[in-house]
Amino acid sequence: MIKTKAILATGGADAPSAAAAGESRPEPFVPKISVRNLNFYYGKAQALNNISLQIPEHRVTAFIGPSGCGKSTLLRTFNRMFELYQDQRAEGEVNLDGENILRSKTDIARIRSKIGMVFQKPTPFPMSIYDNIAFGIRLYERLSRAEMEARVEGCLRQAALWDEVKDKLGQSGTSLSGGQQQRLCIARTIAVKPEVLLLDEPCSALDPISTAKVEEMIYQLKTEYTVVIVTHNMQQAARASDYTAFMYMGEVVEFDLTRKIFTAPRESRTEDYITGRFG
Amino acid sequence: MANSEAPEPARGRRVIVLQADFLFHKLAVLMATVVGITLLAAVAAIGYDSWPAIKTFGVLGFLTSSQWDPVSRHFGAYPFIVGTLVSSTIAMLLAVPVSFGVAVFISELAPGWMRQPVSAAVEMLAAVPSIVYGLWGLLVFAPAFANVEPWINDHLGVIPGIGRLFQGPPMGIGMLTAGIVLAIMILPYISSIMRDVFIATPVQLKESAYAMGATTWEVARNVLLPYTRTAVAGGIFLGLGRALGETMAVTFVIGNSDNLSASLLMPGATIPSVIANEFTEATSKLYISSLIYLGLVLIAITLIVQVLAVLLLGSLRRRPGGAA
Amino acid sequence: MIPLYARRRAVNLFASSLMFAATCIGLFFLAWILWTTLKLGMTAMHWDLFLKDTPAPGNGGYGLRNAFVGSLILMGIALLIGVPVGLMAGTWLAEYGGRSRMANLVRFVNDIMLSAPSIEIGLFTYAIMVDPMGHFSAISGGVALSILMIPIIVRTTDEMLKLVGGEMREAAIALGAPMWKVITHITWKGARAGILTGILISLARISGETAPLLFTALNNQFFSTKLGAPIANLPVVIFQFAMSPYENWQQMAWAGAFVAIVFILTISVCSRLILQSAVKRS
Repeated sequence: MIKTKAILATGGADAPSAAAAGESRPEPFVPKISVRNLNFYYGKAQALNNISLQIPEHRVTAFIGPSGCGKSTLLRTFNRMFELYQDQRAEGEVNLDGENILRSKTDIARIRSKIGMVFQKPTPFPMSIYDNIAFGIRLYERLSRAEMEARVEGCLRQAALWDEVKDKLGQSGTSLSGGQQQRLCIARTIAVKPEVLLLDEPCSALDPISTAKVEEMIYQLKTEYTVVIVTHNMQQAARASDYTAFMYMGEVVEFDLTRKIFTAPRESRTEDYITGRFG
Repeated sequence: MANSEAPEPARGRRVIVLQADFLFHKLAVLMATVVGITLLAAVAAIGYDSWPAIKTFGVLGFLTSSQWDPVSRHFGAYPFIVGTLVSSTIAMLLAVPVSFGVAVFISELAPGWMRQPVSAAVEMLAAVPSIVYGLWGLLVFAPAFANVEPWINDHLGVIPGIGRLFQGPPMGIGMLTAGIVLAIMILPYISSIMRDVFIATPVQLKESAYAMGATTWEVARNVLLPYTRTAVAGGIFLGLGRALGETMAVTFVIGNSDNLSASLLMPGATIPSVIANEFTEATSKLYISSLIYLGLVLIAITLIVQVLAVLLLGSLRRRPGGAA
Repeated sequence: MIPLYARRRAVNLFASSLMFAATCIGLFFLAWILWTTLKLGMTAMHWDLFLKDTPAPGNGGYGLRNAFVGSLILMGIALLIGVPVGLMAGTWLAEYGGRSRMANLVRFVNDIMLSAPSIEIGLFTYAIMVDPMGHFSAISGGVALSILMIPIIVRTTDEMLKLVGGEMREAAIALGAPMWKVITHITWKGARAGILTGILISLARISGETAPLLFTALNNQFFSTKLGAPIANLPVVIFQFAMSPYENWQQMAWAGAFVAIVFILTISVCSRLILQSAVKRS
């Protein structure tokens, strides 16, 4: 794995102090991703308006806002997913560890190996549970059978799925329940050891019990990963995230510690949204 | 159905309305019945007309005899059964990988502006009538291919084992040429089905594979193909059905010989080609009946292929991870 | 790790090139076939083709008039039989049959007939018409072509009628209109473009069919419009002329192929335009 962690803090963020050790104190702010003057277009329609934002390392950052505000769009610029589509384009900077991935010469597959993504609907690959995990690992590492089995088990344990599937690893990934499928997708994503995890409304298709399990997982994942989660569920943002960005009409209205956003928002639009007056 | 719902118009008119409705319904039922029984009628009629040949040569005798001799009035289907299967196999071996390539190119690789025109062009291959394929195959492709055949002799013909398949005079026509022309003809059928199901694959599924850093090829091989495999297999069988029954294009280029040869460069014949070629010359009742009997054998072959297809599709569906 | 990564990239590049090459192969053959037909067909074009009949063997004459007229007659017969049967059967499936067992059986049979080899249709028609009548005839050729047409029309009619919204139908029934009037005045009208496209597609399909005509309409060297006698037709003439050793016959075969392709492409473009204008209107 490529773990060059040259922390070149761009912009006027806090100086990169000691790495995030104490997870109870989210104060030391080490930017992992820093977005500067980002504009995004679907054809002629502009979806993101001059966004600047910094995502802290080893923290959970939530994007909230009414539907159509651009939160998913912003997330999808972080791994250049939009490039699969002809009429979508981004202008500006998205810096990962100081390297602008939008203009990077580095192969896109390599960038994506550092940035994992989990989607709204569970998307198990059309293969067995075991291979769903092994697929990604095989893309980057050549492991012996025993090593691979250990890795698969480790990932499934981390996703709190091992006990449920250990006897049916050869079965199809689609045979699992929705919540299990989503945890499988998260396990599959962390199997390639990314540095950043992008979660695009990962719980919106799940029942409350599965949602609780996934949220619990997210909380544990931040010790190793930088997590960005898009959610329309404000309680979820309040429960699971350290920082929250409130977006509206393609702009970041407010970005701060989650508890500040939810207790003492600076902007009236933020307050209106979190108190449920619109959206 | 619905005819009693009319309110209360004048009594006389109501009778007329009812009659028109009745007639319309009965006419529709009649036509649907006609359509519904065509298959049975076709098999029965073809079976009836092949009865003299069935009586004379039996079933196994006809299938296994390789003698096709109008003069001594002995007819056997073996060379044509083999010819049909061999030419279709060649066509499938060539057309399936190429179709897959075309489908992945259109759905995943091609820039947006290119997709529509390329799809339309490939589909145009399906609009060209088979007679034109035959004409082109005989007068243009075969002479050109005759120049390639010495190379095939020299390079593929020397491989131990399968080399025998590729030895023979460079005539341009023959089993291999027929297989190639067939492959071009069925390409649009297979590739358009593959393309449609690749495009219809859920976007998020493709995106999650791309998001892990998988390359286009890895997405196509590990996600698209497994996800769509039943539909893809269905498309392949559709192409195979076309290849087995194709008549004119094959008749032009296969050389029409009832001798079986080990070499693919030698002339051969398929069931449809021998029927098309000899039907109008067939002089005796038994000769015509034998040709129609060949048609019955072809129906049986396509039926067997269909049954195999259904069984295969069933087992594909049961393997891990298909699309529903 | 870098070698694995480099290998993956190389494999991807290689596979992508193969897929590009596959597309090029397909397009290459399309271009080759169209180009030859266009080039040889254009050089073989002559007014005589449309004014004179097919010549006797070895004679230097030039003409395809009887074949063109014969093909038009055969298509006319096929349309006269195929459209009513196909339309009514498709209507029954969509409006009356629904999901009943008989409807599904009819659909199943229709799907098989849709992909049945055309040579089998020829043998079938031979067995039910030519054999009992004792001679080849234009009418049996038309019947063979109509049997090829019907499955296409049935299927498109069935599908297109099902697309017509239920509200319109229910509104008409609620007004007390009898079922047949609802169908002919409302649903057929709503699905007009789709049904017409299906008919055009089936016409394009049969216009190049050769195999079934070999055992039914056969061929005729002379001009004939008699329905009970063998009739000249373009595909069989192309077949015979292409296989012949005479230079001018082969030329005429190319000219015939050119006309056939132009005819088919014109029909396809028309059907596309009809569909598009229908989409725009709705």
